[in-house]
Amino acid sequence: MLEVAGFSAGYQGNDVLHAVAFRVDAGEAVMIIGSNGAGKTTLFRAMCGLLSPSAGQVRFEGNDITRLPAERIARLGLRFVSAERHLFPRMTVQENLLLGAYPHRPDPQTLSTVLELFPRLAERRRQHAGTMSGGEQQMLAVGRALMSKPRLLVLDEPSTGLAPLLAQATYKALRVLRKQGLTVLVAEQQVPLAMAFSDRGYVLENGFIRLQGTTAELAAHPGIRSAYLGVT
Amino acid sequence: MIANILDGIVLGLQFGLLAVGLTLVYGLGGVLNLAHGQMAVAAAMVVALAQAAGLPIWLAAGLGLLAGGLMGLILDLTILRPVYRLRGEARVLLSLLLTLGVSFTVEGFLNWRYALGALSLRIGGGAVEILGVPMRRGSLAASAITLATFAALFLFFRYTSLGRAVRSVIEDQEGARLVGIYPHRMLRLILVLSGVLAALVAITRAMVTPIDVHSGLSITTFALIVTVVGGLGNVAGALLAGLILGIVNAVAADLIGTYISLIILLGAAALTILTRPAGLLGVRE
Ligand SMILES: Nc1ncnc2c1ncn2[C@@H]1O[C@H](COP(=O)(O)OP(=O)(O)O)[C@@H](O)[C@H]1O
Ligand SMILES: [Mg+2]
Repeated sequence: MLEVAGFSAGYQGNDVLHAVAFRVDAGEAVMIIGSNGAGKTTLFRAMCGLLSPSAGQVRFEGNDITRLPAERIARLGLRFVSAERHLFPRMTVQENLLLGAYPHRPDPQTLSTVLELFPRLAERRRQHAGTMSGGEQQMLAVGRALMSKPRLLVLDEPSTGLAPLLAQATYKALRVLRKQGLTVLVAEQQVPLAMAFSDRGYVLENGFIRLQGTTAELAAHPGIRSAYLGVT
Repeated sequence: MIANILDGIVLGLQFGLLAVGLTLVYGLGGVLNLAHGQMAVAAAMVVALAQAAGLPIWLAAGLGLLAGGLMGLILDLTILRPVYRLRGEARVLLSLLLTLGVSFTVEGFLNWRYALGALSLRIGGGAVEILGVPMRRGSLAASAITLATFAALFLFFRYTSLGRAVRSVIEDQEGARLVGIYPHRMLRLILVLSGVLAALVAITRAMVTPIDVHSGLSITTFALIVTVVGGLGNVAGALLAGLILGIVNAVAADLIGTYISLIILLGAAALTILTRPAGLLGVRE
């Protein structure tokens, strides 16, 4: 479904991402793990059209989407949920959700599925998005992306800034979505959370993919156990 | 006094509508259009010429609105192109300089070709009494049209998906892109809308008092002041600020004098920036 090859990107001419390659197949949950500053956000932003890559290719469902603008890529069904969320703060929860379906007519069925998944959003439909807690905003960011019935959901550190229980709740919702057949790619610093969710993963360090494998393989790897799982 | 306040409300509604275009263009695109008043005047001249050519008033007015929208589109397609390549402060500054150039060009052209041109749309019939004050029919018709336009704008921005999409770009441009909204298409749409609204204000203003080829600067000045007081990117704020400043202007002009009243308005704008930088209805981020 998604293939990234030889992908490099950076800021002011200095690459922080070096010839990264990975793939996500339909129905999979794939994680990209790495510590702070590894380049996860840069990778996703360049992949989703918010930053211009310096080399490489992104293919999505057979089409080359490298360097397409973010709004085009979003309309193709690749939905990015940024760690900063980028909600519309002075619009209501409801309006944020409806905009998720733009330019199509919001599907009432999808809306009720989203509100079932995140009952908090149903309670707060008339509230302004900017007045909600971090956890609720994360739910809204995911819910807004779901309103478009995405083919692939890409999440950058969905646990960022959330208390442990809320981070767990977010991943619980993601598991439900997976069961419904959604393909998910997630970048995460909190490796145990991502491992409990993903089928496969890649380890990004200083802009290079260092390791890849099934979640079980990665969990058993001594380097990962000491560096990311706190096991010595 | 009541007569002044009523006059102020008539004027204030029109101020507000002028500011809506300016404020939305700024909120969406970081572009401050100093040719706003000249666009209004040019549209008024189109109406005057169409009328002189014997067209019925509704058709002439329609042509004026069309001309206003077209001018917004032309701005987007031509002079604003280099502006779009810049970000932040440089973008605002270049937009100020280039649209100021447009305003001189338009005014110079109109002054050269139609130095004595003016649009006056007198509506006949006797005065109508409101709160014991005789109001001219032209003022009432102008206010009714302006209010109806405001109502339509509120409905558009609140209840249509296109209107929500425009607001979303003002709220968070990156967020808008991530849901598949093309920010520039929204900006272009709003530039056209602002041109139409400027033309509408010129036409309704001409029902109250004649618009001549030199009215552009004062129209832009009023619109800027109302925009600042109302808060950038805020339609409801523009309406409220327009009403308040319209009343202040009418009362001050009557009590003290026209030039002083403009200074008072500028003072009000400066005070707003000092005390409420996000405008009357704005929330600090
Ligand atoms: N806007 C930026 N300008 C310059 N350097 C940046 C910018 N954003 C991130 N970086 C640098 O790029 C590297 C990767 O950052 P990032 O992609 O945010 O990593 P991660 O998301 O894995 O924490 C870091 O060294 C960071 O300092
Ligand atoms: Mg990051």
